[in-house]
Formats: sequence, C-alpha cells, structure tokens
Amino acid sequence: MPGSGGLLETNNTLEHPTGPEYQLVVGEGTYVLKDDLHLATPPPHPSDAPQPNNNPLATKIDPPSAGTRLSTALLSSRKPPTPGLFRFITNQSVLSNVHPIEEEAQSPRSDAGSVNGFGSSSFYHDNLPTFGDGNPALIPPPVKSKKGERGKPKNNILKSNSSFVSRVIPHETLQKRLQDRASDGIFAFANINRSFLWLDLSSETKVENLTKVLFTKAHCLCHDINTVTKSKTHLDVILGFNTADIIWYEPMSQKYARLNKNGIINPAHVTSIQWLPNKENYFVAAHANGTLVVYDKEKEDAEFVPEDLAVADGSEASINASMRLQIKKSVHSANQKSNPVAVWHIPYSPRIHATSFSPDGQHLAIVCSDGTLTVINFLREKVIDVYRSYYGALLTVTWSPDGRYILTGGQDDLVSIWSLADRALVARCVGHESWVNDVKFDPWRCDERNYRFGSVGEDCRLLLWDFSVGMLAKPRAMSIRPTAQSQLHGRNSVGSGGIPLVHRRETSSSSSHAFSRLRTNSSLSRTVTDDTEANGADGVNGEEELVHAVESRTATAVLPPVMTKAVDKHPLCWLGFEEGCILTACKDGHIREWSRPTEPATNSAVDSSSTVGSSFVALP
Amino acid sequence: MSFFGKLKGNSGTSDVSKTASPAKKDPNAPQPTLLEKHIADVAGPIRHDGSDKFFGFENYGSTCYCNSIIQCLYYSAPFRDHVINFPSRDFIETLNRDTDHEASHEIRTPNGITVAGDGSTASYPNPTSPARKPIQPTSPGAVTKPEDNRDSPEYRKKLALAAGPVLEMTRDLSQKHGMDESLFTSLKDIFEAIIGSQSRVGVVSPHKFLEILRRENEMFRSAMHQDAHEFLNLLLNSVVESVEDFAKKHPEPASQKLLNGASLGQHHMQNGGLTLAKKSTHDTHWVHDLFEGLLTSETRCLTCENTSQRDEAFLDLSVDLGAHTSVTSCLRKFSEEEMLCERNKFHCDNCGGLQEAEKRMKIKRLPRVLALHLKRFKYTEDMQRLQKLFHRVVYPFHLRLFNTTEDAEDPDRLYELYAVVVHIGGGPYHGHYVSIIKTQDRGWLLFDDELVEPVSKEYVLNFFGGEPVSGAQDARQLACAYVLFYQETTMEAMIREQEVDGLQAEGRVSDVGSLAADGFPTASKNGLSHMPTAITPTVEEMEHMEALAHAQTAPQLHHQLTNVQRPPFEHMVTSPITGQAAANNKSKKELKQEEKERKANAKAEAKEREAQQKAEEKEKMLKRKEAIARRMETIKKQDDELKQAMEASKLSAAEELKTRSDSSTKEGGLARFRHGSMSLRSKPKLFGGKDKDDKLPTVSQGAEMTANGASATSSSTTMTTTAATLEEPEKKEKKNRFSLGRKRSTMM
Repeated sequence: MPGSGGLLETNNTLEHPTGPEYQLVVGEGTYVLKDDLHLATPPPHPSDAPQPNNNPLATKIDPPSAGTRLSTALLSSRKPPTPGLFRFITNQSVLSNVHPIEEEAQSPRSDAGSVNGFGSSSFYHDNLPTFGDGNPALIPPPVKSKKGERGKPKNNILKSNSSFVSRVIPHETLQKRLQDRASDGIFAFANINRSFLWLDLSSETKVENLTKVLFTKAHCLCHDINTVTKSKTHLDVILGFNTADIIWYEPMSQKYARLNKNGIINPAHVTSIQWLPNKENYFVAAHANGTLVVYDKEKEDAEFVPEDLAVADGSEASINASMRLQIKKSVHSANQKSNPVAVWHIPYSPRIHATSFSPDGQHLAIVCSDGTLTVINFLREKVIDVYRSYYGALLTVTWSPDGRYILTGGQDDLVSIWSLADRALVARCVGHESWVNDVKFDPWRCDERNYRFGSVGEDCRLLLWDFSVGMLAKPRAMSIRPTAQSQLHGRNSVGSGGIPLVHRRETSSSSSHAFSRLRTNSSLSRTVTDDTEANGADGVNGEEELVHAVESRTATAVLPPVMTKAVDKHPLCWLGFEEGCILTACKDGHIREWSRPTEPATNSAVDSSSTVGSSFVALP
Repeated sequence: MSFFGKLKGNSGTSDVSKTASPAKKDPNAPQPTLLEKHIADVAGPIRHDGSDKFFGFENYGSTCYCNSIIQCLYYSAPFRDHVINFPSRDFIETLNRDTDHEASHEIRTPNGITVAGDGSTASYPNPTSPARKPIQPTSPGAVTKPEDNRDSPEYRKKLALAAGPVLEMTRDLSQKHGMDESLFTSLKDIFEAIIGSQSRVGVVSPHKFLEILRRENEMFRSAMHQDAHEFLNLLLNSVVESVEDFAKKHPEPASQKLLNGASLGQHHMQNGGLTLAKKSTHDTHWVHDLFEGLLTSETRCLTCENTSQRDEAFLDLSVDLGAHTSVTSCLRKFSEEEMLCERNKFHCDNCGGLQEAEKRMKIKRLPRVLALHLKRFKYTEDMQRLQKLFHRVVYPFHLRLFNTTEDAEDPDRLYELYAVVVHIGGGPYHGHYVSIIKTQDRGWLLFDDELVEPVSKEYVLNFFGGEPVSGAQDARQLACAYVLFYQETTMEAMIREQEVDGLQAEGRVSDVGSLAADGFPTASKNGLSHMPTAITPTVEEMEHMEALAHAQTAPQLHHQLTNVQRPPFEHMVTSPITGQAAANNKSKKELKQEEKERKANAKAEAKEREAQQKAEEKEKMLKRKEAIARRMETIKKQDDELKQAMEASKLSAAEELKTRSDSSTKEGGLARFRHGSMSLRSKPKLFGGKDKDDKLPTVSQGAEMTANGASATSSSTTMTTTAATLEEPEKKEKKNRFSLGRKRSTMM
C-alpha cells in the first residue's frame, strides 16, 4: 500500500520484466509489457510522522486514497493508426473524429479555441449548447491577451511559502527536456501518496520526474488536464485533495492557485475532478458528501450559502426541481462574482465515486456509494436516468466514444453496459474476481458496430472485452422487461417524448440511426434535432426522470471477457488506452505500459491463448 | 437523562449526566463511555424486543470466540425473537401455573441477576479467575504492555465491567422453560436477562453458558484459543437439537402453542415476503428457516455422461480464499466445476464403479441469514500445521449470490451485511475475536468482550485483510474478517436505510428509530434542500465522539458538523424532543444566530468548567476504582465457594456426560437435523492452475481427507470439520456426536 513507504526519500525505478507472464494475448495479437515504472512513495512529512499502532481495532481511518491515477496529454496530432492493428474494417476518419473520452487527452487539437473556449472540433456543431449559455453573468470577459496566451495562476509554486505545499523538485534540466522532447510524446501526471509527479512517458529518462510536487499532508486523489487549453507552453491541471482543497496548477510556468481553501465551499474530500467539456475555466469537482461543485479556476472562493430555488427567476431548473438532484446553486444564478459557479447535490449524500462527461458534452454520468448511476443533462441541470448496480457501490464510470453506451464497474465485480438511448441495462460483464476500479473504452479498437473496452480491479487483473451491436440484438434480454417488478421506484409511464421500453429493438435501431449519423457528421444540422429527440427531449417536453429497477439475473445478457490476466501484484486502480499502448496503474504506484501488438496474430495463437475462463460464461 | 441516573445509581457513578460535557481537553479523564453517549438520546420506554440493549460479554480467558458469536446471533432480530419465544410464552405460563407462581415471575425479574457494585446480592460462583485476560496482539513488531493506559481497550473493558450492571448468568432456569438444561436454555436465559434489564448497557457474565459448553464439549474445555466458526456451528446445531428434543417431549401442547409463538415472531420480522406459512406447522424448524440453505451438487460421470443430483443442506458456507478476491468471487469459485479424478474418483451408480466425473455445487435454496465462513486457517503441508491466510478479501455491504441453480427460488435475493466476526492475531492458535454488528437503529457497534463502542460505517470495511507488511508498525494488519453474516433484505429497505444514513450524515435526523419505523416521511424528502439544520442531540453526540481518540467516525462525512462548534452538553439535558421541535420551527437564519451565540457561550463555559470538571472526574475515577476493588474483594471471598462448586459441577458433568452420550447414540434420528458447514475441499488443480493460486500454500487434500476420517472414499462434498478441531484428539464419544451431521452427508 502507498503510505507504507520508508522514511527516506527515494527515486522512481524502471524495470523491464520479460516472460510469458508479462504478455497479454488477445485476438489481435500480443501486448507486451514494455516498461514497469515504479513511482517512489514519499516518506511522511516530518510533522506527520506515523505513530506505531498497537491497537488492532484502532478506529482511526486512513486518509482516503484512490491509489495512483494518471492524467495524460498528447500535444501533437497523432499519427494515423496502423491499419494492421484493426480487426474490424473501420472508417479511420470516423475514428479520429471521435472525441476523447473522459480525462484522456487523445485529441489532436491544440487549437486555442474560440473566445469562450468552445470547441473547434468538427464533431461539435455550434448549435449544441454548452454550460452557462444564456446566463449573462457567465459570459466570459473579453480576452485581453493575444490569442494563444493563456491566463496563468497567480502564485509561483517554487517560491510558495504555503503550509499546504511542502516542496517542489523540478528536474535540473527541465527546460531542456521540454524543448528536446518529441512532440508526439505523452505527458502524464500521476499522484502517489502526498506527492504529485509530472512525467514524460515517451522520454528515455522517463524514470526522472519532470517535476515532483510534495504536499505537506494532503493527498491528491484525482486530477485532470484541460484539453482545450493544452499547448506546448501551457497545461492547465487541476488537482483534488483529501482535504477538500483544489489546486489549479500550470506546470510549465510552475504557477498555482488554491481553491476551496480548507473546504470553505465544501468540506468533503474531492473524489473526482474534471474540466467541463470545451471550457477553459470551468471544472466540476465531486465531493465525497454527495455534492458536485462547478468552479471557475479564475474566481475567488466565497462562503457558500445554498440559494433558494425560487429566487432563480423562474428558470428551467427551478421548474424541474428534481428528487434526484438538488440544485443548491444553479448555473442560471445571476450571482457569479465568485466561486462556486454551480452546486448540485445528490440526495442523502452518498459518496460520489466517479463522474464522466459524455463525448458530446451534454451529459454527466455520476456513480455513487449507494450503488446508483445517475445520468444528468448537466446543462439543463436535469436528471435523465437513475440506475442501480446489481449490488454494492459503483466505483467507476465511462462513456463510449460515440456517447451511446455507459460503462460502470463496482462492488458487484461486474462491468455493466447501459444504453443511453434505450435507457436500459444492455449486458453485465462477468469475469472479475473482485471489485472493478476502472473501466475505459479503447477508442483505437472501436468502430461503429464493435466496441473494445478494458477494466481493472482489486483482483490485480486487466480484462479486455469486445461487444458488438449485433451481439446485443440477441433476444435474450428482450423477452422479459422487468416492468412488473415491484422494486420499480418512481417509474412513470414514458410519455410522448420518451422511448417505450417494450419496443426496445425498434427504438434501438432508430436511435442508433440518429447516432450513426451523428458520428459520421454527414448532416450535422439534422443530427442535432435527432439528437434532441433521442435523448434531449427531457425537460423540454416535460418528460420526467426515470428511476430504473434492478434487472434480474435471468433477464440480462452476460458478456464474457476476451482476455483476463493478473498484470500486477497490487490491486489496480487506473487504466488508460493510448495509441501505442495500454497503461495500468496500481495502488502501490506501478505504472505499466503494455505495447500494442505490432503484427496481427495468427489464428492459432488466438485460439490457444484466449484465456477466457469457460467458467465465467455461467448463463443467466 | 433520568435513564442514566437510574442506570448508574448502583454503581456509584450517578453523576454521569452532570459531567457529560465536552471534555475535549482531557480525554483521559473518566467520562461517559462512547456507547453511553451514543445512545444518550434514546428516549421512551425500554423495548420488549431487545433491540435497544447493548451489553458486553465478560471474557473468562479466551472465551471471545463465544462472546463474538453470541453477539452476532443476538442482533439477528428473527433469531433473537425465536429464542425468546421458544417455547412459546403461553406454554411456559401453563407450565408454571400449576407449580410455582412466584417462580415464573422470577424469570423476568431477579433471575439470578445481581447488580454488581451494590455488594449485597452479588454472590455467585465464578468458575474462573475474574482477572481479565488481556488480549494478546501478537504483532511481530513492538508490543508495549497496555498497562493502565487509559486509551487501551483493556482499560476500557475494566471500566465497563466496573460500571456494570453485570448480569451474572449463573442460575439454571431450564425447568421454567420446560426444557432440559442445554446451551439453548442458557442462551435463552442470557437473551431474556438482557431484554429484561432496565439498563440499556451493561455486561453479561455467561457463567452457565460456558459451564454447559465446557461440560458437553471437551474441545472447548481448555483455555486455548478456539475457532469461532466451529463454535457457531456447534451452537446452531445444539439449538436445533434442543428444539427438536423439546418438540418430542411436548408434541401436543407445543405444536399448538407454537402457533402463537410463530405469530409473535412474525410480528417482529422486519422484512416482508417471508415464507411464514411453513412456520406455523413446523415451528421447531425455525433455525433451519433462518440459517439453512440447500446446495445441489450435480455430478456428471465422464464415462456414461449420466448426471446425478444430490441436495445437501447447510447452515453456513465455508469458502476458500484467494489473494485479492471478493466474497462474490469466493462464492463463485465455490460453485465452479470440479474434476473428480485419481484418488478422488466418483462412484457412478449408472456404470458402477469409480469413474472420473465433473461436479459442481450450486445453491438451490437461499438461506435467510447467510453465514459466510472465510477459511483463513489453512493446513499447509510444508509447515505441517495450520496457518492463517492474510489474503485480502473484500466484502461489500450488500450481496447477491451468483451461484444459484436455475430453478432456485428468488435467485436475485438481496443480502445486507449485518455482522462481521474479526479474528485478530498472527495464527490460528492464538489471538482474539471481536464482532462488529449493525444494530437496528444505532448504527454499527464494535463488541469486544465487555466493551461495546460505536464505530463508523467505514470502519466495517477495515478488515479485508492483506499480507502484513513487516515494516509497518500497525497492529491493524492482524485483524481480518473471519465470519460474515449477511441477512436478507429488500431494495426498499436498502434504499430507506441509505436515506436515513444520508440524513444522519447531514446531521438532520435526531430520532432515526422513529423514522425507520414509521417509514420515511415524504414531506422531508421533497423539502430536503430547505430543511433547517436543526441542532439535534444526535449531532451533539457525534461532536463529542470526535473529540475522542477512539471515536472517529469518518471525519470527512461529518466535517460539516465539526466545523461548527456545538453547544455544551448541558443544553440538551432538557427534554430533547421538545427542544428539537422548537428548533425545527425556527428559521435558518435564526438558527444560525443562535448557533453563534451558543458558540460563544460554549467557549466561555468550557473553560470555566474545565477546572471544575477535572476535579469532578478525579472524584468519579476514585469511585470507580473503589467499585472495582469492592467487586474484586467479593470475588475473592467467593473463591472457596467457587472451588467447591467447581468440584461439584465437574462431578455432575461427568455423570451427565455419560448419560448424555448414551442417549445421543440412541437418538440417532436427531442427526437428521444436524448440519455441518458446507465447504468444498481444495480442488485438484486440473485446469492448468492458471496463475491464480501461485502463492497459496497448496493444501494437502489427502491430509484433510484423512483427518476427516471415514470420508476418504467419498467423492463429493466432504464436510470438512474446520481444521482446528482436527488438531486436538478428542474423546471419541464427543467427537462422534459433534460430527454426526458431517459424516452423514459425506456418504453419497
């Protein structure tokens, strides 16, 4: 475990173990472990020395730790993927138009964006609304500086005398390394214990941090890079801490700013933090007490008093007051002089474990300790769907690159696939031997009909999964819709704007039609309307949120993995797909880089080595 | 507050309420225990179902295995109800009507219960030295003697014992129940004494229970460390036996009266949708109805492709552990297909003779209470002995079972974790057991022998295990979950509880009990965002708790609360209910201002009181010490009596043992109702072994088989006696008796 580090400051180590146990054999070929980078766990700060504990029942709870997570950024456009990599015939242009999911910054765009930072991507139509539209108080001030120059935080972290930051150790030749590095290299930020590391994963000397920031006591739990503002001279990184503090950090200039200082706005630790899609300044932090707070990195904190909804001058939000999302401060609030910009609260304050924005920047998926997956239209501040895990908390969530599917992983050892359009559970993926801590799509191996995703968990395993739309059409799950189940809560009859669940197949095809047009960008203007009809109809047509019952096991399709392997000695907590590799990170700080196969595998290799446990395919 | 006055009246610490102020600066001073604070706002009359009682159990030297299991059973509401309602009250009344009216009354009140501390009635034979055995945290690192460190659990246990009241369970009341003396009757006596107690807290001294246990089971006679799971199994089987025995003796009245008993029990059941119809006709079956599940083992002969099925009942499930797994996965592994080959071949009735076969076991009928035994004690061949597995095995608060048969009824049944038995120690031969239990409306409590303390929900997940890191000087590494109790629940109940938890975390609920009972008021659901943050006693308690080293509930969750300084304790001594009602009527702003004022007041008062308080506390401390001393003295005086009693009991025990063993062999029919815990032998690693078990000490199948005796040829489920029992050679008669059920089920 991190935290069990010695008392001496140590350096990262790099190893290159070889052998069959360091290979992942999948249909497309063999992934080989290239690097095993072990991040040094820093010793505790002298003022925070660990006390020997003789009480086995000590009620002291360790500071929450999520293990090492990464935020990665590519600054230059990537090369087109090698055709040999793909098993499916894929329209490459579609693929590269797919917006990166979640915090992964695979986008080639290093444009500086427009004034409001709103996307230049062809994927987005200007007509798609963004956060804060229609609120005059949130119109960004005119840009003073020249285009391309970004606002930096105020304080220099190297000269900081804050008691929050303990020490900052930039690399001796940081500037030289930054200049000399290949433009297509991957930057990564990683947290371990009380330190936060800036790494160059493509560098020969990747073992040496570009910069190491040591905090006094606080542990960084989550972080994100702004994909809109990233450039060779500028990276906006936000960090969320177990102390509830948030730091906006610009590593190139070593500047930083501290928000929610000592929890003035929200006192609970930050479990997930993300830049709002296509926004320069706004990010949303999930606090452990069930609260989502949108901050502006440029604004000062002010003590937060929940705003009365009635005051919010008859805005949409106040009309659609929801049982599933309490709006404590609306994005429509005119009071925008200081942070927070908006505050939303999940009733009964479950711990929010993860959040994820849909690729089109319209929806936010939230998973909580109470086992719920809540999909909200965060622009309208409106809940669309609430699902529940089979049992136990949900721990992670992500969207498919095309925004059609949501994946969750949790304490039921399952990865669950949910369809946004069908508003239903699609399949349960059985194969993990313990809780699922992270799940991501592999955008390099997804096309219109086939999806590849991976998942990692407490079982130290990486599992890879393939699922296709065709496979899902199998009627197994169709016959029984659990509408009659007694557990159904608050389910209303789905009105004109909704999708009748019984005719799932039909709607699925029609809505997927809309989506596929969305993806191919063939007719954007129509796409928008289709899109609105398909899933944006809520709010406008007064369709109410849908709280779904838990599907019985017999009624649900089960998907087995195409590959399962223990890839670390410690529980895994993060997974990332890059163009050339799969990245895994564990609770002990091992970052492992698994190179993608260079040539297609022969058929025999596929057959013999797919380690799909036959035992998993226990039927429903 | 009057409650505390009454409670403490006898033990010389009646000034609790006076000194119950936020003594932040001096956590060492004696003050109301965490538990007392935790339940200080419990108002209203004492409940009749016992759900508002929080008693520790005295440790007679390594009897923690017994204490921890009894606690887990007590807080299973249906089990408790059945124990106290069997035989039915009507039956008992009719039984005692003819004999001695006075005596029947005695069941409820004095019952051999003496309130310790008042020194007058406390005369009882104490079977062992009253010296409290300190727990032995066998940490590899530094072990400092707890001494009289006031923060140590040992010290607080002493205090708990001194504070009392102590229920001395020395008398045998089995005749009043119309039953023979047995573990069941003494368990019933314990439950009834707790429920009948006027105090909500205290300590139980389970003399009689241990006496019977040791008399009837030699393996528990020594002062050695025992296996809690083994004990659970023995106790459940023993209860079954007593119940059956009783039914035999009183066929007519019992079955009729039991109808009433069943309806009584039904009344207390929290979860709807239970199959109670059965109960009215076979009420003697209630242990089975609660704990028993049914496994179906399917064996497919590889020679003739014939599939044979067999159903086997279980009272608990024993699962093998893998490193870095979940209980879900362990259960799944339990039901994975297994090859029967080589020494382990299957006798196929179809083709006749031993054949290779595939076998898998799935759950056909789900138990209402799922007792899940994590097999942490594993025989390792190289070491030639049992070793403790520290594998990290995660367990969620809720569970469903994947390994059910297709025709299983309600295969998606939802379970909630309600109790965890934790083993603390480096190996199977020594250590300590505690349990962490979810109570009906007081959240999670830690039961460590005499000590009962509230803990946070997060704390429950502290016992996943994990290989100890030698460098880390942290004794918590030695504590791992050993038995998990899941009870059936529903989505509705789960959601309601989540809501209540949430509101509590938000500090907005004072009386969860009424909330949970009445169902959730919808008004507050809607108006949640506008609810005034009423300052309730609950909040206060949390504040107090956090000021103490051991009371940490998750700090982040309650951060909001801690930020605001709470008014001192005095403010709530007045009726908390009306106070709260008033607070509710106040607007937010008013409340805020009031809070500020109180804050100021609190600071000033706190300082003033600090000095005064210190003095008071010293005094109180002295009183407590006196109380302890007094108790010790009486105990010493009793030593002689004790020795005599011991002799006598030994004699009678031997006699009874003889007669019992005789009768047990005669009454072979009883074995039908005995069930062992179901556990799968370690499987032959046929499927390439994968990489999953690399680090597991491979368990010698042979060893386990032979140890089990007689079952060597059996090809299917050997009901493995937990290895601990195998270690000690037993007297044959005893052993046979105990493992009857097991043997039976090994014979295919």
